[in-house]
Amino acid sequence: MKTDQIFVALGVGLLLCGCEPQKQQIQLGDPLPGLTPEQLAQFKAGKRAFQRAFTPQDGLGPLFNEVSCQECHEDPVLGGVGDEIEIHATKFSPSGLCDPLFHEGGPVFQTQATPLLQAHGITNEPVPPDAAGIGRRTPSPLFGFGLVDAIPDAAILANQNTNAAYGIHGHANRTIDGRVGRFGHKANTATLFDFNVGAYHDEMGITSAREPVENTLNGTPVPPDTVLGPQPNISLEEISNATVFIQFLAPPPSQIFTNYQDRTLAKRGQNLFTSLQCAGCHVPEMKTGPSAVPALNYKLVALYSDLLVHDLGTNLADICLGEAHPSEFRTAPLMGLRFHVDGLLHDASATNVQEAIERHGGEAQKSADEFKALNDDNKKALLKFLDSI
Amino acid sequence: MKRFVYLTVILLAGVFTLSAQTNEVDRLKSDLIGQTMGGRHECWKFQSVDQIKELTVKDKTGDDQKQIYTVALELEAMPACGRYAAEARIEYEKADAGWKIKQVGLLSLKKINPPPGATEK
Repeated sequence: MKTDQIFVALGVGLLLCGCEPQKQQIQLGDPLPGLTPEQLAQFKAGKRAFQRAFTPQDGLGPLFNEVSCQECHEDPVLGGVGDEIEIHATKFSPSGLCDPLFHEGGPVFQTQATPLLQAHGITNEPVPPDAAGIGRRTPSPLFGFGLVDAIPDAAILANQNTNAAYGIHGHANRTIDGRVGRFGHKANTATLFDFNVGAYHDEMGITSAREPVENTLNGTPVPPDTVLGPQPNISLEEISNATVFIQFLAPPPSQIFTNYQDRTLAKRGQNLFTSLQCAGCHVPEMKTGPSAVPALNYKLVALYSDLLVHDLGTNLADICLGEAHPSEFRTAPLMGLRFHVDGLLHDASATNVQEAIERHGGEAQKSADEFKALNDDNKKALLKFLDSI
Repeated sequence: MKRFVYLTVILLAGVFTLSAQTNEVDRLKSDLIGQTMGGRHECWKFQSVDQIKELTVKDKTGDDQKQIYTVALELEAMPACGRYAAEARIEYEKADAGWKIKQVGLLSLKKINPPPGATEK
């Protein structure tokens, strides 16, 4: 083949590549790519379970925080966040012991009561006087949580060693039964399904075969005449359906800047993210393990978290949970940070990303100080990068 | 002689009952492995018999298709995670090869205070 013929062939090849239809970018709230038609049908069925609003006649309450999963996970689309703030409280003693106050209705204290319970003069579950710490908690966005669920425990534990290289000391939290935790602001729940069984119970007062007893009023059973609906209120299959919806929610799409200046700025911000050692805790990627679902099988997740708990300093401290002391919190996953519209940090007390960074203390104090010392251009670059992930 | 026979029978009956109870408790402990009760903060996955420090049958009902046990448990996975007193409802259903657990419901849970001076972490 002559040289000019080779160039023509290459040109035609390039043209063909260029003409190939581009893959459609995943939108927030879409299912994971690569699901089978049957799994897509499960995703849709799960979405309906997730959206179901309960009434007292269905079993809502008598003590509850909200009437549906959707209520706390709706912004900017289904599966996102909500503006609800719930109350958690536990007891932490100076010797390092944490009591989750299970016997006093803890650690979640419900803020609402059904009309039947209100007729007994009860409007909420008060925090017991012996609680040593009270935490305000915001709902987490759920995008990509199926991938988080599929990350092996070993990968989370391995991050403890990586942490040491940065001179930080994150550790995995443990559930009360000793498993490695990953879900919740204190990483004290091991699996998505476990979390959801508890969320139905604690947030909506919806009982299931695994948690068949209604939320108590600081350990005292609610009056029997306030309990309505079938017993238990829903089947584990319904919880499983809602879980599949979350499991198959795609991670938030990253933002691709079309403007050269924005791209350059974000790239500089990414370098700063590394040089300021933010990536020590906010580990950019983790990988799932084996899964029967091909869309979850050995996939990289751009999580920006090590799923460990770290000391964030006394200013942010509130409650203990499991092995996490009051000042220790799970590294917040930063994927989709730009969609997190209802306040940042575990208690939604930071109104924007810059404030959230600047309020990091404890192990992150040095990084926060270095961020504060950056000039405006570099701050802007780092924030631009965070706006892209 | 009669008295001796009576005493022996009573003693044997006692031993038999105790043995049956022990077998039942051991079987329950073993059957619980792999089961999970509760959710989120109050969640216990039974991973090994060693975690079940105590199991006492408080009630047992059922028929030829279903058996329901109410049990008191003392659980500890590892000292750092604390020790817990729990009450659970274990539902068995008839299967081809005998009985198998259908579901386990968490009825109550309380952290038990460790001895003074102990630390968890």
